[in-house]
Amino acid sequence: MKNVVLVSASPKINEKSVSKEFLEMLGSQINSQLFSKTFIDVRKSFSSHNLTEDFETLAKADAIIISFPLYYFCLPGMLTRFLVDYHNYYTASGDVKKHVKVYAMVNCGFPEPEINLEAVRVIKSFSQHLNAEFRFGVLIGGGPMMVAAKEAPFMKKAVQKLNSAFTSIAADIQAENSTPMDSIYIGVNYPLLRRIYYFMGGRGWITMARKNGLKKKDLYKKPYRLN
Amino acid sequence: MKALLISDQEYLTKTYQGLKDLIGKFLKQKGYEIEMTELSEKDLTFCRGCFGCWIKKPGECIINDGMAQINRRVMNSDVVIYLSPIIFGQFSPTIKNVIDRGLPNILPFFEKRPDGSTMHPPRYDTYPSQIIIGYGDEISDEDKQLFIDVTKKHRRSIEVLIYQEPKENTIEALNKLELGRVGGLL
Repeated sequence: MKNVVLVSASPKINEKSVSKEFLEMLGSQINSQLFSKTFIDVRKSFSSHNLTEDFETLAKADAIIISFPLYYFCLPGMLTRFLVDYHNYYTASGDVKKHVKVYAMVNCGFPEPEINLEAVRVIKSFSQHLNAEFRFGVLIGGGPMMVAAKEAPFMKKAVQKLNSAFTSIAADIQAENSTPMDSIYIGVNYPLLRRIYYFMGGRGWITMARKNGLKKKDLYKKPYRLN
Repeated sequence: MKALLISDQEYLTKTYQGLKDLIGKFLKQKGYEIEMTELSEKDLTFCRGCFGCWIKKPGECIINDGMAQINRRVMNSDVVIYLSPIIFGQFSPTIKNVIDRGLPNILPFFEKRPDGSTMHPPRYDTYPSQIIIGYGDEISDEDKQLFIDVTKKHRRSIEVLIYQEPKENTIEALNKLELGRVGGLL
């Protein structure tokens, strides 16, 4: 039985993670009779000092799927550390596994999925440094909104696209012959919807700040302004 | 005039030493007072995406480590130069932590950039000019290009250079940049 390792890398502590939710949606589409599925939560890996055990699991993987939120147009620092340390572990072990497939699933708060492209390229570069085969990425714009409003009619098309992208990964893992695949872009891309999206986003921050006892103007504070 | 240099203790290679000396000389010649910060893995924890710097204590990171001080120093400098190893076409983990945790210095809202993409607006009227210089040994052309694209495709307010021989090219590139306080470009 082949091993599929699904890595979620949201740095959030004790909060629901969009990256994990997407990864679980994908996981449910991977055939359990053909594949052994293991989930790694990078945040938990660090907090429970489980790194070596998780690196051992990764080193045995036939397919690795890494799901994470975009932080400043590339990987969160936490995932960067995890991959650098894993690369060091893997190369030091000298036991290089052949034909490992790697996939990236990147989501961001911005509505445009293409903003995630450089993060996918970083996972591709990581794969090349491991001598693994990077297959393709799923680039998701407006990820948190997709999860929050997945039942809403206007989100129907995006959710269908998400499920279809996950089916593509599940099928690709199973395929013996790897034909080149393009990355998949899923986002909230319509001009009118974008204006609503900006407005809703802004209102959301103000509401959350008010719950913390702040006023709207407090959000604009400049604590480090030059005198 | 103040210049802040931020680098990563984990990658103090010969190439790094050469780059650090070069930048030090360049800034001194330009009349800058230099403050050097060589960070290690233990100095900074990861950004945990709590958004406390936007909705609890706007403009300040709520994690109690050295980052609040770094953000203050960044905002009170005229030039900030990040010396980052190029790892998988991206920053080293520690430099990435510094970048992630610079989030308090921008606002949470969405705005459209001139190319139509979305970005968060600046919190301040002016910022130091910021330059990221990537270095490393035997870095592929693909990784070098990615290192440039990660920032240049998305942030107009930050310059990116790759340090490589001959050194004069880096100085020439730096000389072409306008240093000093700048407006917060989207």
